[in-house]
Amino acid sequence: MADLYRADVLISCLHGQSADLAPTFRQEIERRGMAGEVRVVETGCRGFCSVGPVVSIQPDGEFYVNVQPADVPEIVEETLVKGRPVQRLTYKEPTTRKSITKYDDIPFYGKQMRIVFRNTGLIDPQSIDEYIAVGGYEALGKVLTSMTPEEVIEEVKKSGLRGRGGAGFRTGRKWESTRKAKGDVKYVIANGDEGDPGAFMDRSLMEGDPHAVLEGMAIAGFAVGANQGYVYVRDEYPLAVKNLNLAIQQAHEYGLLGEDILGSGFAFDIGIVRGAGAFVCGESSALMQSLEGKVGEPRSKHVHATDRGLWDRPSCLNNVETLANIPVIMLRGAEWFASIGTENSKGTKGFCLVGKIRNPGLIEVPMGMTLKEIIYDIGGGPPRGRKVKAVQTGGPSGGCIPTSRLDLAVDYETLSQAGSMMGSGGMIALDDRTCMVDISRFFLEFLKDESCGKCAPCREGIKRMLEILTAISNGDAKMGDIDTLETLAKTVQAASLCGLGKSAPNPVLSTLQYFRQEYEQHITEKFCPSGVCRSLVAYVVVDDKCKGCGLCIKVCSQESIAGSAKQPHVIDQATCIQCGACFDACRFDAIQVIPRSQVELLPKQEVHA
Amino acid sequence: MNKLIIDGAEYQAQDDQTILDVCRQNGIEIPTLCYHPAMEPYGACRLCTVEVIRHGWSNLHTACTHPAWDGLEVKTQSPAVYDVRRTLMGLFLSRCPHVPVIQNLARQYGVTEPPFATDDPDQKCILCGLCVRVCNDLVKANVINFSDRGIDRQVGPPFLEKTRDCIGCGACTIVCPTGAIDIVLEEAGVYAEKPLGPTAAIYVPSLQAVPRVPVIDTDSCIRFRQQDRSNGKIADACGVCQTLCEANAIDFDQQDEILDLTVGSVIVATGFEMWDPKKLSQYSYGRSPHIITGMEFERLSNAGGPTGGQILLSDGSKPKRVAIIHCVGSRDHNAHAYCSRICCMYSLKHAHLVRDKTGAEVYEFYMDMRAFGKGYEEFYERVQEEGVTMVRGRGAVVDVLPNGKLRVKGEDADLGKLLAVDVDMVVLSTAIEAPHDADKISALFGLGRTADGWFAEAHPKLRPVETNTDGVFLAGCAQGPKDVPDTVAHAGAASAAVLGLLDRGEVVIAPTVAEVNRDDCVGCGDCLLVCPYTAITRVEGKAQINAALCKGCGTCVATCPSGAIMALHFTDDQIVAQIDGVLAWA
Ligand SMILES: Cc1cc2nc3c(=O)[nH]c(=O)nc-3n(C[C@H](O)[C@H](O)[C@H](O)COP(=O)(O)OP(=O)(O)OC[C@H]3O[C@@H](n4cnc5c(N)ncnc54)[C@H](O)[C@@H]3O)c2cc1C
Ligand SMILES: Cc1cc2nc3c(=O)[nH]c(=O)nc-3n(C[C@H](O)[C@H](O)[C@H](O)COP(=O)(O)O)c2cc1C
Ligand code: SF4
Ligand code: FES
Repeated sequence: MADLYRADVLISCLHGQSADLAPTFRQEIERRGMAGEVRVVETGCRGFCSVGPVVSIQPDGEFYVNVQPADVPEIVEETLVKGRPVQRLTYKEPTTRKSITKYDDIPFYGKQMRIVFRNTGLIDPQSIDEYIAVGGYEALGKVLTSMTPEEVIEEVKKSGLRGRGGAGFRTGRKWESTRKAKGDVKYVIANGDEGDPGAFMDRSLMEGDPHAVLEGMAIAGFAVGANQGYVYVRDEYPLAVKNLNLAIQQAHEYGLLGEDILGSGFAFDIGIVRGAGAFVCGESSALMQSLEGKVGEPRSKHVHATDRGLWDRPSCLNNVETLANIPVIMLRGAEWFASIGTENSKGTKGFCLVGKIRNPGLIEVPMGMTLKEIIYDIGGGPPRGRKVKAVQTGGPSGGCIPTSRLDLAVDYETLSQAGSMMGSGGMIALDDRTCMVDISRFFLEFLKDESCGKCAPCREGIKRMLEILTAISNGDAKMGDIDTLETLAKTVQAASLCGLGKSAPNPVLSTLQYFRQEYEQHITEKFCPSGVCRSLVAYVVVDDKCKGCGLCIKVCSQESIAGSAKQPHVIDQATCIQCGACFDACRFDAIQVIPRSQVELLPKQEVHA
Repeated sequence: MNKLIIDGAEYQAQDDQTILDVCRQNGIEIPTLCYHPAMEPYGACRLCTVEVIRHGWSNLHTACTHPAWDGLEVKTQSPAVYDVRRTLMGLFLSRCPHVPVIQNLARQYGVTEPPFATDDPDQKCILCGLCVRVCNDLVKANVINFSDRGIDRQVGPPFLEKTRDCIGCGACTIVCPTGAIDIVLEEAGVYAEKPLGPTAAIYVPSLQAVPRVPVIDTDSCIRFRQQDRSNGKIADACGVCQTLCEANAIDFDQQDEILDLTVGSVIVATGFEMWDPKKLSQYSYGRSPHIITGMEFERLSNAGGPTGGQILLSDGSKPKRVAIIHCVGSRDHNAHAYCSRICCMYSLKHAHLVRDKTGAEVYEFYMDMRAFGKGYEEFYERVQEEGVTMVRGRGAVVDVLPNGKLRVKGEDADLGKLLAVDVDMVVLSTAIEAPHDADKISALFGLGRTADGWFAEAHPKLRPVETNTDGVFLAGCAQGPKDVPDTVAHAGAASAAVLGLLDRGEVVIAPTVAEVNRDDCVGCGDCLLVCPYTAITRVEGKAQINAALCKGCGTCVATCPSGAIMALHFTDDQIVAQIDGVLAWA
């Protein structure tokens, strides 16, 4: 049995600068002779990326942000020895600057609901005992000892759980098809490929709570009649691989994997396969090709993987987040789960909230929360002076939803009807300094590189769409090009082989739907109102607003701005590269974006160095 | 049996059929680029996209991959389908603007100009993956594959370098819909013998073949080659013929059989071989694809040949001038002194064919015209009337000019002048000669050969089909050059001779044959070597003489070191007695 400790120091964020924190804590605690009383635990991600690394002290729940190794002696002295919070390191509410000492009181967490990420950041992912201590493997025990596979499937169906990998396929139905499929050997596969750039929900889970994924898989195996599972993990996630491997080993030692689990006669084993990191390998048929050791390339699948998948055997592929929901559903019941969320989308969903926002991070919210609540209440809204222009959801092949529609509830259907998608949970806030043509171009650039190239519409079509978008942002396009772009987008959507191609036009189609006039402006006025498409814009100083503070002079990398204090400054158009740094820096709105073509009309100004 | 509605009409389908299968079977046209019946559908070009309505939901799917399920409704021509195909063809045409297949398909969908800028105007590959699949799945040579991703995807051998693993089967060039792959012959070993293009590995030997069934050439068949190359490890390569043969008639396990037949008589009709004109360098044979032998011309003008019977130059164009040179290797002391007898007439036939099929000018260089047979002289006249220019005199030299044209120089004996003609094609009416392995046949049957190499008949006038070995007869060119009528006549005579023997049922032989005393024979085999009539064989280690073949010449008797052979009626005792008798009387 594990030793008892008076307090736990939980260090989150196992990446980047936090690496030195744990050893520093351990040394300090050792030095103070408290090694037997206080334990240092490296936990998974807490999601609050904007303030990481974070440290919390249990059981009292003090929560410190942006902790550096130099802060360690003070935390030990004050909190662990004297029981007082270190005010300096507590979280400050952005608007009121009020200090918040306890984790639960922080609004970033207040509106969230942690079901999937129930344990990440709170337990040591490398210890099966901690997982068991918080109720881990209880669900597996319950399922194996008191339920039939059909009852498990029924429960999952009733819960309304849908695939978190993107498509939102009903998990219970998928399990049922796999169970009914003919074949002695079946497989359960966890999709941990997570190819969306910037997304890390699945990574956090696999790193921070690997046993939850394994438990979900074992239950799935029991339900569909499989004795073998595979986790397909992106090779860029070495810690996930390490923690999963460790977890599998521990589960074996505890008899929770392997032959005759918990004396039930049910056998289940799990292997880990590291994927080569191509986006398309997250697609189910490509993933299975890759698992078989072939090139990860999608196949036409009119026959479902549940009938003929891996090695042509019935295979149940689920996203890791989907699977991590399973143990909770089994323990707390389908009714409880179905009470969360909307009519057709139940439970919660993890999102990676990034972009022009104050509190970027990994969040988990109940389905049906509006985009507005997510962006403003949890995300804290855009930084000072900026306005949210749109929210991009669904990863690179998702779509952009304009501010006017931010009261949309986040669920599968609503997002697709709005021209975007749930995807695996990317969410990017875009502000008024984002050009919609440029953002489409950005995502298409990614998709062009990730298209496997097998089918013609995706391979050739994305390239051509990208060419048109580039022409638009360079001012080389004509009006008809928008129609060509739209035709191309629709063909690629309709005719591509796999989900990558079918969804690749989403960024284009959704921005065209909501921001067509911005596209047209690029073509007819040769102007990019956001100031992003450099060949179309010029930055100028508005004389009566400029206070002559000189901030812009400091930020300009080209030394293109001149002016003396308290006098309106001048931008030298000949050397300006239209990066917009001055625009972003100016506190007086004194920098203006104008069409490039108007530069010649400007009064000739002398530039004084 | 599944029932589905395609373009408003009802069709039936088997469970394992795709929508494309059903459409093809019923003559409903669907364009495809990445589909091949011998391979698994791949679904990459998406051109076969059709509208599929199932349970009231309409979606676009590729016909080549979509199963022909019961109750489907399929539209192959709907506006949505047309739009997708049109955009796709625009994309393909922009990628490969100069490929005729793509141009034609694009035109069908109203695209005549590439809608987007072309990166590489020479691009021919549309990445349909057929070559990759044929090389890996069927040929199992695993030489061609994809590299890179997305728009940079390309096909080729590993690292796009030459590889020795390529077996040069050419399957990829055959399945490639756009002609993007060329086979470059570096060591033209196999094909040098067949400059007019390789034939398929499975073919009907000739249109008149009896029985008219195809045979597999195991030297070029991919399956057999892969098996030989990998010492049997790749035993299931290709097999396309087997997959596609509806009669299920392909049996790769069939072996050549060696039959042992006991027969009473044999007709040797081993014919002739073409003499190799490379042996006389003045004809420049082998230095231009347009200098061909009469035999190659036969193949070129044959309806079953590489051009379907059209007489074309290697670039596909028709020749404008053709020279035919007689007596190449015949009547020439540097090659064969004899007249090959058939060339004059076949050259006239060739001249007629060239005139008839191409209208080209024909120059016929002949020494003198040997139109000896019935109706032959008339044919000669007719060909002259067809406008063939007859040049009497040996075509002496053929030069390959730098521009690829050919210059034939020779003497016009009628005019007494030297002559040079520039032509596009030269046909060498080369000599025929005895087969290269005639010596083996001759040893086998104990046949004599005349000085020019042909098998010798027993008597040039009185026994033209018999040989000196009883029961062995000659027919056709085996005996000497003949055209078909003469060959048939000769062969008829040989058959009649054989029938005569068969009819009698027994042969009368002279009693003067040799006999082996088995007790004395030591089995040295010396007699086998000397018997000119192949009458001696070894049976259970001892010599045995076939009395029907033995002519009683006595060579073996004189040769046998153990004195074990005697000639009946000419035994030593008898001869000594005779000598004694003669001497006693004297
Ligand atoms: C270019 C050209 C054009 C001609 N055009 C005409 C024409 O228009 N009209 C005409 O009347 N004649 C023509 N001839 C002549 C005609 O080809 C011959 O008269 C005829 O082919 C002779 O027939 P054959 O059976 O004697 O010999 P071949 O046709 O040579 O047949 C001999 C056969 O025996 C086989 N063989 C050889 N050795 C063995 C062995 N050891 N065991 C088993 N099989 C063996 C060979 O493979 C061959 O199939 C032409 C000839 C040439 C070269
Ligand atoms: C291009 C492409 C990439 C995908 N990438 C992922 C991924 O990284 N992770 C994931 O779980 N699902 C991914 N999917 C979705 C999977 O195909 C599949 O639907 C999912 O893993 C099924 O699990 P679920 O039903 O639990 O969502 C991707 C799909 C496509 C078309
Ligand atoms: S849609 Fe794109 S990624 Fe999918 S098969 Fe086609 S080319 Fe490959
Ligand atoms: S023929 Fe069906 S996709 Fe190419």
